Amino acid sequence: MAVFVFMATASVAAQDDKVEPVPVLSGGMAFVPTVVGGQTTLTSVVAPVLLIPLGDKWLVESRVTFEGDFERQGGTGPFVGPVEKEVDYAEVDYVANRYVTITAGRFLTPFGIYNERLYPVWVRDLQTEPLILPMEESSSNGLMLRGGIPLAKDLVVNYAAFYSALSTAAYLESDRGVGGRVGVFLPHQRVEAGFSFIHKTQDEGGNFYGAHFEWQPRRVPFDLRAEYADSFNGRGYWIEPALRFSSIQHLPVLTRRTQIVGRIQQFFPNGILSDDELPSVKTTRSEFGLNYYLADGWRAVASMGRDFSSAGNQNVWTVGMTYRFAFPLGRGGLR
Amino acid sequence: MKKRLLVATLLIFCAVMAFSAGKDNGAPTSASSPPTAGAAVVNQEHDSLRLEGEQRFRTNCGRCHQPPHKFPPRMMATIIRHMRVRAMLTDEDMKAILAYMTE
Repeated sequence: MAVFVFMATASVAAQDDKVEPVPVLSGGMAFVPTVVGGQTTLTSVVAPVLLIPLGDKWLVESRVTFEGDFERQGGTGPFVGPVEKEVDYAEVDYVANRYVTITAGRFLTPFGIYNERLYPVWVRDLQTEPLILPMEESSSNGLMLRGGIPLAKDLVVNYAAFYSALSTAAYLESDRGVGGRVGVFLPHQRVEAGFSFIHKTQDEGGNFYGAHFEWQPRRVPFDLRAEYADSFNGRGYWIEPALRFSSIQHLPVLTRRTQIVGRIQQFFPNGILSDDELPSVKTTRSEFGLNYYLADGWRAVASMGRDFSSAGNQNVWTVGMTYRFAFPLGRGGLR
Repeated sequence: MKKRLLVATLLIFCAVMAFSAGKDNGAPTSASSPPTAGAAVVNQEHDSLRLEGEQRFRTNCGRCHQPPHKFPPRMMATIIRHMRVRAMLTDEDMKAILAYMTE
């Protein structure tokens, strides 16, 4: 009894020293009119993220995306269109130990880096999505183990392994399969390289292979990201360099808030595609973008690009705004 | 001669006692110095952790995010737990970044 009282007291004392987390509502919004081959689409996205911490080791988190793609009715009429809804993830995370986190529920499929890390509208540097994104899958329903293991001072291995069940429920679709990703991160050099794999066990089945690379030199605010994906649908890659002028001191303050981005990508289909979101013919797209960070969370974005394919060349334009919001839910959240 | 020796011995004894007393009197002063040194150590550790946290923020978070304005500590404690899962931060990264973002 005395031991129990002592442990309970020690536990309370320990908790007093810690910052107690509160539920948070965060997320991103975007309004990005896009012109592809002369056809204008008003794209509006709202993607709230709900984070609910439980105790010291648990986290319930969810993101729902509402996306409206509005086009002119009959070419000259008012802008109309559906609003698509999707539960991107609704998961329970349990931090089992320093190296393992167990995730159950609906989660973002850990394949490549774009789907998990760069997809939110307020994070991505170019608002258009990579041509190979449909190959990465969006979400899976099942169980996942993931974590980061520092093997040496300047070497971290991160991993994710998952099993997904088939689901045809509205807003919660997923395929049956297993897969994972392994990455090697060198913190000092700020370089990461990794591989991904998915084996689908339904419909036509098949394997998906992916590779990714990221580099951010220490002295210059420059990012270089690249991905490659290969499956029975075809194969493709994208390479995206981005430079922010923030560290160039002799530039005016206004210019230092600017970021320039480029992206070159190609997709090579394999015969008949089973995914109608992928290009049906060999396609090359090159893009150039300009982002301006107005204030914390607010960003003006613009880009221009061109598709080259046997289906016809066309220009791709975007211009718009993105916003990231975050505020606490519950009492004491601002402390 | 004996008298002189006795007086000299007494003087030395008194001097030693006075020196010892002086040291004792100074004891409270020296006793107050450890907190100052302790505070300096704590400050050094805090600065070191902040610097470490800033570096780890740039190394890990900076791969996808621009440096944001800092959030209140209780919000940040939740967000860092989310990012631990999403970005597969190590335990050490999480602690250092949390310290940096909530200072």
